[in-house]
Amino acid sequence: MSARDRMEIDPPYDFPGYKSTALRAPKQPLIRVAPHPLEIAGPSFSRSFAKESEADLTTWGKSAPLGEKIILVGRVLDEDGKPVRNSLLELWQCNSSGRYAHPVDQHNAPLDPNFLGQGKVLTGDDGQYRFVTIKPGAYPWRNHPWAWRPAHIHLSLFGNAYSQRIITQMFFPADPLLPIDPIFNSVPDPAARQRMVCTLDLEQGIEEEALGYRFDIVLRGANATPMGV
Amino acid sequence: MGNRTPSQTIGPFFHVGLKWEDGEKVQFAGSGDRVVLTGCVYDGAGTAIADALVETWQADPSGKVPGAGAAARAYGYSRAMTASDGRYTIETLMPGACTGPGGEKYAPQLNVTIFARGLLKAVRTRVFLAAADAVKDDPLARAAGPRVNTLFASRDSKAPEVWRWDVRLQGKDETAFIEF
Repeated sequence: MSARDRMEIDPPYDFPGYKSTALRAPKQPLIRVAPHPLEIAGPSFSRSFAKESEADLTTWGKSAPLGEKIILVGRVLDEDGKPVRNSLLELWQCNSSGRYAHPVDQHNAPLDPNFLGQGKVLTGDDGQYRFVTIKPGAYPWRNHPWAWRPAHIHLSLFGNAYSQRIITQMFFPADPLLPIDPIFNSVPDPAARQRMVCTLDLEQGIEEEALGYRFDIVLRGANATPMGV
Repeated sequence: MGNRTPSQTIGPFFHVGLKWEDGEKVQFAGSGDRVVLTGCVYDGAGTAIADALVETWQADPSGKVPGAGAAARAYGYSRAMTASDGRYTIETLMPGACTGPGGEKYAPQLNVTIFARGLLKAVRTRVFLAAADAVKDDPLARAAGPRVNTLFASRDSKAPEVWRWDVRLQGKDETAFIEF
């Protein structure tokens, strides 16, 4: 896997459609170096760092949050298809009306006192994870006229090596806002974009209670280095 | 294989999900010399970035990779969120120098990853907690040329445990970022 391939999978820093990149995108070339011994290794979290209750975002309040309850399952793998075990996966999202439980979010939509929107797990022996949550709403933002973010869940992953650390977003299938979302479309390759969209997996849901969705996440190989280093 | 999941921005609301109790305090199994690393993150207009996430990972004081320990949180790792003035502060122990697989000599340093709204993928770099003459043989110092000057933390003359290092994502004195 070369550095060039990686560039084509990830978005560029400078993407004019997403206005906040204008003053934050580095303009100088990245310096290519061999990985430091610490960058091949990675931090190690014990299983007690994520409590079992943190995988269920619907039991945090006094009663169930409003919205469409979903079960989100998937596996974390590396580029060779090997499971990434015992790795920290953190998640955050807005509520079903499109509002984050965050002071900066002043969007005129109701907060849900029973929904905080944060979760975390350590992946299992097969790289698997499972969250119970609600489907997040779409919400407007000020990037351009009529800008609305499609429903999405933020995911933060550590993998098993520091070089695998990544933050991404997961989207929902057939969302009509996807074609107009500059953040989703900042990924140049349409096939790579689709790897950020979960799939309906009814049998992972709960009959007469919750829809199931599947989202597998593929991290770079733990020993991948840029070409020519 | 090219089937990786792409990166996306952390956005402005990550505090909802990524707050760690005492995340800015690095834990280790053993003891060492206390270090407080602090500074501000700026954009290309010189404006402080109030919504950046700064993470560091480092060798232990003897220069070894910190292993899994009794602590629930990983040893050797920190997570700090910038305040309204763009400032982050990390409390840790001085990392030891270490040697790479080919005999490379790595000076005492922290590996740094920064996420922010407006960054569609993280920026990564390394900050040196050492004087320039102690770093000249470090592989990154050799690769960075004059830009290495953006990667030195400066030691406070009155409080020797305090090291200051600002990050400039863009513009004059843009921090040297790396890929590996």
